[in-house]
Amino acid sequence: MATNVEALDHDHHYHPPGLQHQFDDMKQQEESVSIGMWMFLVQEIMFFGGLFTAYLVYRSRFPMAFAAGSNHLDAFWGGLNTIVLIVSSLTMALTVYYAQKGNRNLQMLFIVLTMLFGMTFLGVKVIEYTDKYNHGLVPVAGLNRKAKAPAATESGPTSTGGETHAAASSSEHGAEEHVYVNPRGEFQWTDTSLAKLAEDHHYLTEAERNGYYSNGVVDANKFRDKVRIYFWIYFAMTGLHALHMIIGLGLMAWLLFKAWRGTFSAEYYMPVEMSGLYWHFVDIVWIFLFPLLYLLGRHFMH
Amino acid sequence: MAHNHSEHSDHSELGEQHIGIPGYLGVFAVLIVGTILTYVVARIDLDWIFAGANTLVALLIAFTKMACVMLFFMHVRWSPKLVWLSAIASFFWLAIMFAYTMQDYLTRGAGVFNP
Repeated sequence: MATNVEALDHDHHYHPPGLQHQFDDMKQQEESVSIGMWMFLVQEIMFFGGLFTAYLVYRSRFPMAFAAGSNHLDAFWGGLNTIVLIVSSLTMALTVYYAQKGNRNLQMLFIVLTMLFGMTFLGVKVIEYTDKYNHGLVPVAGLNRKAKAPAATESGPTSTGGETHAAASSSEHGAEEHVYVNPRGEFQWTDTSLAKLAEDHHYLTEAERNGYYSNGVVDANKFRDKVRIYFWIYFAMTGLHALHMIIGLGLMAWLLFKAWRGTFSAEYYMPVEMSGLYWHFVDIVWIFLFPLLYLLGRHFMH
Repeated sequence: MAHNHSEHSDHSELGEQHIGIPGYLGVFAVLIVGTILTYVVARIDLDWIFAGANTLVALLIAFTKMACVMLFFMHVRWSPKLVWLSAIASFFWLAIMFAYTMQDYLTRGAGVFNP
C-alpha cells in the first residue's frame, strides 16, 4: 500500500481533489468535460428540433387552427412559468458562482431555491394539464374527463351533487353549450370562429381550405381535427420539456447531496457547472416554447 | 461590465470567468424585460407590416434572450473555441433540418395532408 502511494507520488507531485487519473491536469479535464456536455446538449437540440420541425410543418399548413388552439391556452400561466424558469436560471447561475467560490452554504441555498422554482414550474404545468383534461383538450380519446349528458328525467333538485349541473343547464337555453358533455372522454372543439374570420378576410390558404372545408363551408369536425394536431404538438413539446425539468430536479437533488458533503471547491466544481448548462438549456427551450405555443395568433383576440 | 475579469482571461483557468453578481442580475433583468416585451408585442396586430410579422418579432426576442443565457449564464463567452463551434453547428444542423423539410412540404401542393 505504502509503496503504491509512493509510486503515485513519484508521477504526480500534486493531485488535486476530483482529478481523474486519465487527465494531465484540471484544465484538461474541465475542457474534456465541457466538450462532452456540449455534445450532449447539441443532440438534445436535435431531439427537440424534431418536434420543432413537426410544429413548423403543421403550423405552416394550418395557421388558423394553430392560432385557435393557442388562443385557448392561458398566457398568464405560460408567462408566469417563463418568469419562474428565468428566476431559476439566475439561481442556478449563482449556484455555480458560489460553487466556484467554494462557499458551501450559499451554494446549497441556491440549489434549494433552484429546486423550489423548478417544482413551482411543474406545479403550474399540473394546473394547466388539469385544465386541458377538464375541457376535453387532451388529444387522446378516453384521456379526458368523462361526463355523461344530463338526462332530462333526473333534473330534480333533491341531490346536492347534481345541483350545480342542473342549475347550469336549466338557467337558459343558450347556456346549454357551456355544459361539459363528454361521455367517452374524447377531444372536443366546437369554436370555428377563427377559420370564419380568416375566410371573411380572404386569407385562408388553399391548403387550409382543403383542410377545413366540406362542400365549400367550414366543417367544424374537420377544423377540430386540425386543432387537435396543435394540441398533440403542445402536449409532446411541453411534456418532453417537463420530463427534462424532472430530470433536472433529480440532478439538483444529487448536487445538493454532494454539496452538503462538501465535495465542491474552487478547484473542483465541474459537476455544478455542467448541471447548470443542462438547466439553462431547458430554460432556453421554454424561452422558445412560450411565444410559439402560447402567443401565436394572440393578436387575433380583440 | 467585466473589465477586471476580461483582463485576466488569458491567464486564469477555464470556467472561472463570469460577469459577477451585478452582471448576472443585469442579464436576469434583460430576460424579464424580454419576456414582458414578448407578451405585449404578441397582443398587437403587426400583420399590417407583413403576414407573420408577429412571429418574427417573437422569435427575434427569443433569440436575443437565448444569446444572453448562452453567453453569460452558460459562460460560452469565456469558453474554448470548440464550445463555440458546437453551439453554432447545432443551430446550423437545425437549420438544415428545417430547410430541407420545408422545401419538400412547401412544394408539394395544397393536398398533401388531405389524401
